Amino acid sequence: MQNDDIRNLWQAQGSADAPLTLEELRKKGEKFRTKVARRNLREYALMALMVPYFSYFAWTSHLPLMRVGNGLLAAALFYIAYQLHRRASASPAPGELAWKNCVAFHRAQLERQRDALSGIWTWYLGPLIPGFATITIAIAIPLFHQSIYAGLLSLTWVVAPALVLWRVAWINRGATAKLQRQIDELEATERSSDAGVRQ
Amino acid sequence: MEGKPQDERYLEAAAEYGAALHRLAAAYEADLDKRRDLLQEVHLALWRSLASFDGRCSLRTWVYRVAHNAATSYVIGQRRSRASAWISLEEVAAVADSAEGEQAAGRRHSVDRLLALIQQLKPLDRQVILSYLEGLDAAATAEITGISPGNVATKIHRIKNLLTQQFQEGVRDAE
Repeated sequence: MQNDDIRNLWQAQGSADAPLTLEELRKKGEKFRTKVARRNLREYALMALMVPYFSYFAWTSHLPLMRVGNGLLAAALFYIAYQLHRRASASPAPGELAWKNCVAFHRAQLERQRDALSGIWTWYLGPLIPGFATITIAIAIPLFHQSIYAGLLSLTWVVAPALVLWRVAWINRGATAKLQRQIDELEATERSSDAGVRQ
Repeated sequence: MEGKPQDERYLEAAAEYGAALHRLAAAYEADLDKRRDLLQEVHLALWRSLASFDGRCSLRTWVYRVAHNAATSYVIGQRRSRASAWISLEEVAAVADSAEGEQAAGRRHSVDRLLALIQQLKPLDRQVILSYLEGLDAAATAEITGISPGNVATKIHRIKNLLTQQFQEGVRDAE
């Protein structure tokens, strides 16, 4: 088979019928906007539930460290909700799909994923740590006053969350490295193309 | 073209490139149900994007960029954890060779084999081979993908060799 035959064979398939009418496209476009609005609402609802919960303990607790810890957690949740909102709304604008060529668009997509993964400690997990650590210390101090064993025992509850955090970090590290390799490959293609254009 | 409203532009683009978009969706998604969803996503992305079409590139370049970018975004989401399973044009020849024992039975089989081959390629190689199959020249492919015409020409040379190697045997048997 000649290559032209293969091209003819390829071009002979496929239906020219549009899969959606204009009315359906408008409805889907509207649905997309509603989906984004609902997702934002879910985030705000979660924040509206959790922030008052921690704020309540921050306000009413008798232990100063407990108040600080709960206050820190409430603030962390505010910050995380803001970051989730900011990152989720960073999805490409409709026109961006055409303004960027395929290599640039693909690279931008991968970079967005890499940044979200590699920065997870700074915007998602990290902000929760001061609050949890302060609460842990607040619980441990009175127990240490009772007995050193009770105090040490009270610290063991942080082992499970710490292991989960470590596991998340480990998985993210591997995924980030994989994304970085793909980005490097695309950058090399872009560089060789730029060099080709200059020649 | 710039003065036309979004719907009119979309209908024009869908009429001219509808079949090509259908083939493009097939090249990005093997599962038939998911392919239907992807095709709808591509059309939705095209319709939405055409609200901001400003004529800075041709309608053809615009349509193919939107379609490839929307499809790439889709496959990245679908195969986020398995992206390493994609292979390059250089690697595909070796992998496809292992299927040499299977003899092609006809034209339908040839298209299926071609689709199977394209579906395992990395997005950039997939974009170039699809542009070649759609009859676009190196300059148009370069404008869509963002790689130089020289680079496109090199890839097309490899694609031609690969297609010759993969499909000559099959058709000889079918005849």
